Amino acid sequence: MTVKIKTLERQGSTFIEKLYLVEVFRGMRTTFGHFWRILLDNSKSYVRHYPEVKPEITPRWRGRHRLTTHEDGTMKCVACFMCQTNCPSHCISIEAGERVDGKSEKMPIRFEIDLLECIYCGYCVEACPMDAIRMDTGIYSVISSERSSVVKGMDELLATPGAFSEEDYKKRGL
Amino acid sequence: MSQLDILMVVLRVAFGAFIPICFIAIGVWMERRGAGFIQDRLGPNRCNIFGFRAGGLVQNLADGVKLIFKEDMIAGHIQHKFYFVLAPVLVFFTALVSFAVIPFADTLILGGKSYIMQTVPLDIGILWFLACTGFAVYGIILAGWSSHNKYGILGGLRSAAQVIAYEIPMGLAIVSLLVVYGTVNLSEIARFQGQLLFGFIPMWGVILQPLGVVIFIVAAFAETNRTPFDFAEGESEIVAGFHIEYSSMKFGMFFLGEYVAMFVSSAIIVTLFFGGYQIPWLATETMVAYAQPIAIVLMLLLPVITYYFTNWIRKNNVSHYNRQNDPLVREANVYIKICWILAAAVELILLTLVVINPSADGVRIFVVLLQMASFLLKATIMCFVYVWVRWTLPRFRYDQLQKLGWQILLPMSLVNIFITSAVVVALS
Amino acid sequence: MLSQWLFYAFATVSVLGALGLILSRHPMNGALWFVVTLVSLAGLYSLLSASLLFALQLIVYAGAIMSLIIFIIMFLNIQPADIPDEKGKWAYLLGGCLAVIPIGLLLLKIVSSLPEGDVDIVGNGFGQVKSVGLVLFRDWLLPFEIVSILLLVALVGAVVLAGKKEMTQ
Repeated sequence: MTVKIKTLERQGSTFIEKLYLVEVFRGMRTTFGHFWRILLDNSKSYVRHYPEVKPEITPRWRGRHRLTTHEDGTMKCVACFMCQTNCPSHCISIEAGERVDGKSEKMPIRFEIDLLECIYCGYCVEACPMDAIRMDTGIYSVISSERSSVVKGMDELLATPGAFSEEDYKKRGL
Repeated sequence: MSQLDILMVVLRVAFGAFIPICFIAIGVWMERRGAGFIQDRLGPNRCNIFGFRAGGLVQNLADGVKLIFKEDMIAGHIQHKFYFVLAPVLVFFTALVSFAVIPFADTLILGGKSYIMQTVPLDIGILWFLACTGFAVYGIILAGWSSHNKYGILGGLRSAAQVIAYEIPMGLAIVSLLVVYGTVNLSEIARFQGQLLFGFIPMWGVILQPLGVVIFIVAAFAETNRTPFDFAEGESEIVAGFHIEYSSMKFGMFFLGEYVAMFVSSAIIVTLFFGGYQIPWLATETMVAYAQPIAIVLMLLLPVITYYFTNWIRKNNVSHYNRQNDPLVREANVYIKICWILAAAVELILLTLVVINPSADGVRIFVVLLQMASFLLKATIMCFVYVWVRWTLPRFRYDQLQKLGWQILLPMSLVNIFITSAVVVALS
Repeated sequence: MLSQWLFYAFATVSVLGALGLILSRHPMNGALWFVVTLVSLAGLYSLLSASLLFALQLIVYAGAIMSLIIFIIMFLNIQPADIPDEKGKWAYLLGGCLAVIPIGLLLLKIVSSLPEGDVDIVGNGFGQVKSVGLVLFRDWLLPFEIVSILLLVALVGAVVLAGKKEMTQ
């Protein structure tokens, strides 16, 4: 691959441009155009009225985590510690225990994600061999007035539904 | 002194003291909403009192309350606490008192007595303004120096060098103006601009001194420390410059002082170059003579303007997304009612004061009110120009600033003086 | 009556400012005391209704020159350790005062021997823009021009001195 070199023409060398004042007025004309357009009809501004109008979230977008379940409601996670090992910010902490529903041998008895530590990199999702952890809840704003409530436990992670259908999630192209 | 005399003195002092302070609110509001509109955003518009947002003006109130109630801190390393506290007061106070000499209407004649419409009738006028801006720099220097902070000192140094460099072209631009007007008294300067050039062009400073306007406005931008000359702050280079160690209302004084200075220098620019309180082609005597027709035209125009203005409010004061029972529409309806009530009140006042039973005093008061409105309108437009330039131009580089001041503006203003005096001598 | 009291106030403040200039240790304090003196002098001018002199005093001395001096003080960034320890400062001051007393007495004698009479030396329009301009450009045109040439020479000299340093570097 050859490096493309683009030579930019140097601006500002003509007499009119060196006078500076003419260019100032041209710039001011541009900004006034914007000002006048919004002043006459402020629906033309490029603004999302945020708390009322939510941003549109695509399936690729990494939101808050959730733990997925089989059809019969048992959790997919087998407590293999892949996500905890991979996590660059050490925000996942798992405690494994014996599995009682017969799906496999292990399951977590404690699964906590500290969202203050989490950097939303998605490595846990990539690492999971069972597709047990996903970041498709579409929750982008985690707010709390105390630190302890931002550490999400297993029950809450299991209870949160995904925001997208299975097909859309599969098509996200990772 | 009769009661009327005392009332007039109180009125003009109140005007001189309160109008700049009111314009702080308008200036801050114009800056933030104007910046929003220029960048295709909306600017702050959420703050409200019982759902009334007044187009974002309530935000200023919230900011003011916040600034007043914040903890007032003086950092432990500051040795010269007196200068540290004195600096914001100096900045604010000098900006405020320099408004005192600006005439906001022509002399009011009531019952054969004339009252000057100027807070302090000083005959040195423009020189007072120069003296006050010279003192404002002390505030910035002291703030920067007493902060004992390298950014603060850099900001103060830059500001001092800049003010020294730009006071000279400003003074020379004023000299060439004085050659034209033949007086330093701002009242007389404003009166001079009520004449007509060749019988049809208003004799404003901007027409008599096209070069002087440019020099003066550039220098005025530099004196008020506004972009593109806001080196004293220079957020991207020296964090916040001279007011880096300030918090709460002491910072607030700097902040408000900047807007007072902006309004006052707008008022000075308007008075020197854009006719002051004069309405083009309508000198005071003409207005007094034709008060009735002017009032009738105004009465006809007012409903039309109100109609379009209320339509604009109705169109823009709505939520731009699906919303049940939009509260903004209810808000807009209240504003529209207020607008119509105000318009009706003005119509009524005009009708009784001027049209039906015109008394000499009533006509004079009407003319003075019109001139005050014209002055405030021009000053507001000039303030908008300040905002407009701030959100258009990037900051200069420091050496470019000094080069512009010493190598371009200074020779230009000298040449301007020569040309002006040659023309004045040739014509007289 | 009011103007008399104002005169006393301004006179006292200006003397106090001068004392502060001499006695204060930090150069910044000294400079700001001097500003106080200059402003109260401007007040004295305004009591004489010399409005142009009042404005010029504020613009040129208090505004421009003093801000330049403060600029330089700031630029030098004087630390408390840099300030010289003035030993025997009070003795010098006392000695100086004693030495000046004869001159003061002489001045007092001269003033008191002035012919009594109309003290209103100040004419009509003294210190207004027009009268000062007329005096400068009509009666004293030649000295005025010579002084301006002197200033120009000083300016050119300063530029030459500043430029020389740059070349040797």
